[in-house]
Amino acid sequence: MVEERRILYEHLDVPDINTFDVFRQYDGYTRFEKAIAEYQPEEIAQMVLDSGLKGRGGAGFSTGEKWSFVPRDIEPRYLCCNADESEPGTFSNRYVLEKNPHLLIEGILICCYAMGIETTYVYIRGEFTLGKKMLDAAIKEAYEKGYLGKDVRGTGLNIDIYTHPGAGAYICGEETGLIESLEGKRGQPRNKPPFPAVQGVFMKPTVVQNVETLCNLPFIVGNGVEWYTEMGPTYADTRFDPPKPDANTGTKLYCISGDVNEPGVYELDLGLTCTELIEVAGGLRGEEVKAVIPGGSSAPILTHYELDTRLDFTSLTLAKSMLGSGGIIVMNETRNIVDCLLNIMKFYAHESCGQCTPCRWGTPWVRDIVQRIADGNGRKDTITRPKFGVAENGRWGDTGETEEIYEDLDLLESVANNIANVDTMTWNTICVFGIAVSWPAVSYMRKFRPEFEAAIREGKLVTLPVAEATVPPEENYAYQQRFIPKEFADL
Amino acid sequence: MALIKLNDLEIEVEDGTNIVEAAREHGIEVPHYCYHPGLTRPANCRMCLVEPYGPIPGAPPGTIGPARQLATGCTTTVRTAPPERKLEDKYDAIVQTDSPRVKKAREDVLEFLLVHHPLDCPVCDQAGECDLQDYSYRHGHDKSRYIEIKNVPPKKDLGPDVLLYSTRCVVCTRCIRFAEEVSGTGELGLVHRGSHDEIDIPRSHEGTPIQLLDNKLAGNVVDICPVGALISKDFLFKSRPWFMEKANSVCSGCSVGCNITVEYKADGVYRLKPRFHEDINQHWMCDDGRLGYHYVNSDDRLQLPLKRVDDALTPTHWADALTVIQEQLSEVEAEDIVVIGSAQATNEDNYVLQQFAHDVLQTTQLGLFGQLPGEEHKFPQFTIEADKNPNTAGARTILGAANGNVVLEGDALWEKVSGAKVVYLVSGAPERPLGDAEKAALERVEFLIVQDILPSEVTQLADMVLPGTTFAEKDGTFTNSTGWVQRIRKTIDPPGEARVDWEITQQLANQLGGEMNYRFAGEISLAIAENVQGYADATHQNIRDAGIKLAE
Repeated sequence: MVEERRILYEHLDVPDINTFDVFRQYDGYTRFEKAIAEYQPEEIAQMVLDSGLKGRGGAGFSTGEKWSFVPRDIEPRYLCCNADESEPGTFSNRYVLEKNPHLLIEGILICCYAMGIETTYVYIRGEFTLGKKMLDAAIKEAYEKGYLGKDVRGTGLNIDIYTHPGAGAYICGEETGLIESLEGKRGQPRNKPPFPAVQGVFMKPTVVQNVETLCNLPFIVGNGVEWYTEMGPTYADTRFDPPKPDANTGTKLYCISGDVNEPGVYELDLGLTCTELIEVAGGLRGEEVKAVIPGGSSAPILTHYELDTRLDFTSLTLAKSMLGSGGIIVMNETRNIVDCLLNIMKFYAHESCGQCTPCRWGTPWVRDIVQRIADGNGRKDTITRPKFGVAENGRWGDTGETEEIYEDLDLLESVANNIANVDTMTWNTICVFGIAVSWPAVSYMRKFRPEFEAAIREGKLVTLPVAEATVPPEENYAYQQRFIPKEFADL
Repeated sequence: MALIKLNDLEIEVEDGTNIVEAAREHGIEVPHYCYHPGLTRPANCRMCLVEPYGPIPGAPPGTIGPARQLATGCTTTVRTAPPERKLEDKYDAIVQTDSPRVKKAREDVLEFLLVHHPLDCPVCDQAGECDLQDYSYRHGHDKSRYIEIKNVPPKKDLGPDVLLYSTRCVVCTRCIRFAEEVSGTGELGLVHRGSHDEIDIPRSHEGTPIQLLDNKLAGNVVDICPVGALISKDFLFKSRPWFMEKANSVCSGCSVGCNITVEYKADGVYRLKPRFHEDINQHWMCDDGRLGYHYVNSDDRLQLPLKRVDDALTPTHWADALTVIQEQLSEVEAEDIVVIGSAQATNEDNYVLQQFAHDVLQTTQLGLFGQLPGEEHKFPQFTIEADKNPNTAGARTILGAANGNVVLEGDALWEKVSGAKVVYLVSGAPERPLGDAEKAALERVEFLIVQDILPSEVTQLADMVLPGTTFAEKDGTFTNSTGWVQRIRKTIDPPGEARVDWEITQQLANQLGGEMNYRFAGEISLAIAENVQGYADATHQNIRDAGIKLAE
């Protein structure tokens, strides 16, 4: 039985941990003081790079590497903390904000020190009213205690934190959409390049980090890189010679929901399998697992064949999915995948910012197609066309067999791939919202095609038994790895 | 200069040029909607996707291949690369605009663009000059796969001259960016989100407009709209674009001298559209100029010479009118004659007029008449000048060319007029009100000859009215306030018996014994080039469409 390893959440349940004094009793701000006393800013940045910390917001990009892109000769630089946690199925940041906001402030302080940043903006999801209230109170306290403001603790550092509430748009969780919104504009993502590390908030170099990523910093500084890298697997990327270490270090706040007995946020080492995770969350509610969404609603779905997939950045990328924000949704045999996809597509059609063409008009189209299938209006006149091949008389021609074509499923796949192609991982859109739409659309459809076909055939939603509903891995290229060869081995 | 390989072409372009422009310069079309050379580039239409080439990660050095992601041609600029980063040892960039991937991407984007489009080309004003139509033919699918319900956002009245057919809108945001960047008025914005995006003006909750799109540059949003969403009320349902002839000309609304295209049919001028000129108007023109052409088509235009008989102006024929003028002019002394040119007339008109005054009438009393100054309007990237005459600078120089540059204007002019016996006034400014002093001066004239295009306060006082022509009916040149000499071109025939102004003057001169033999405006421009200081290069052959800037 796997045990939780609480680091970020260790003191979450301590009463009044949100106040400075209590936080201080539990080593609060000592890590920041250690950073200032013992390390140069560049050393901290190197520690973060060495720790292999990957951004917890969704993309899983190496934090240290991201910091290295920030030009240190341009002033001012900004830190932007992304607390716009809006991915369906994800709810780990809000607990930090609501219960232990000082931990975030300490993470911000360390990041500001390492990057020489004086101003931080915390963009908080509009719905997190309590979280914002708690964070604001904590910031006020930190100012009073001299951990924020001019000349922090007599070190000569000036660090300010401003909180900014969002107004309820999913796309403002995309880093450049967030920046636009923060600047007071319509929350629409920017074209990249330039990346925020070069031109971010007010066109100045900006580090954009998720709450969870920042909360990891105090522990990396406090306990050292070695302690941190012991958690989670490090793979060897054999595409490089010599193999390059591919770190998936640290713990992750997994938000487990759906058909499990004890849904909630669990802090676990990276690299556990789906099965283990379901066990941690009190086991499955129901007979058998039908599907698992591993990383928030935009991640491609995993079938019951893939339950041994390790839930870390690299393994899930190899499994043609992604860890994303760690929002894990478990579905049992009673769930209808068409219905699930419809739910998700409704969300994305509603949340598309409408800036660029493929997403603006593609997402509602995909939704409409799924809606039509779910309503039983999927085009019933499934075309049967002659199958060409070597015929009985030994000559090339009509074999006499017919092939069923589900027009709407082909259309669904084609439209989704035109927004963002999941096979080549290319998108025609400005931001990755496009791929967040087509990933679920295509993966659900390919992996659970029998259920979609049944809905069209029967004219209503039909929930098939798990074994029948799922396409086995050997029959479907949806399972095949994307573009990274599978020559990864444990170091 | 950067050397780029564009498809199979090896071309050199300025550093900082984007792919769309580089391709356009060499005759390759990269379709685009949101990109406009005069505005910022949001790259939101995703139509101009091109395939850049670069080093392949992980491959041996020197190997290049297509990049994983397509790039937008509008935001991809080329720069001279340092030697170690040259591709194939010499190119600064290698770009494909017609690879299968690019073609597929275009098809896909076009399919999305047409998903909610009403396909109402048969009743759409833009049909024939619509980017959506053109690109669909050239780059799109032949049929739609969309069978769901289309969005039908409402038609909106945005301002005095602009209608929005929201259904046709592709949300390229050119109009929004125009209102923000060029006019600086910012009336337009997006409301709603996602597929319900709509362009709109600020409205109250009940839907009543708070701010109309009524700035003086508003008409430009119609021009830059790549589809038929923004439509000019003035042109609405008037004509199909392909039925109209086009001529490059210059706006006569003020002294800026915006380059325009006059679109016309045999029965009149239909619309004016701005034409790009880097130093004068860039891509824009103001609504005063754009909508100020209506007098050309007016039913009230003077079509026959008018003679005052028993206190009433009665139509007569040219021979009679010219004979009467000849008699009047030959009876008076040179110092009793005042000849007044017009800041509305072309350089050629004024040149013939001053030649007539000097050589034939032997008078040096030349004046200048024109519109009264209006208001100046300044916008971030555009200025509408106060001087409402297109050719004040040119008229001053040319009327004063043989006269030591003395041209009577203002009070000095009216003082001279009040003492004159015969005044030959070329107006062309029908709307101009007359002040009391001006009116009194003109009333005191014994014989007032007015050459004008429409009945006006001046023609009411005239003893003889000669029907002249507007900018749309003659060839010639205007000199704008910054010293650019530019061509206007004849589009339609003058109404009735109206004649080109310099021809009237020339015939009059010849009847009075002069020897002028200009056969067309270009010939006069040669004379101007020879005799007027600073105009040596300003012949029609040299000016062409771009105009010529006079030396300071």
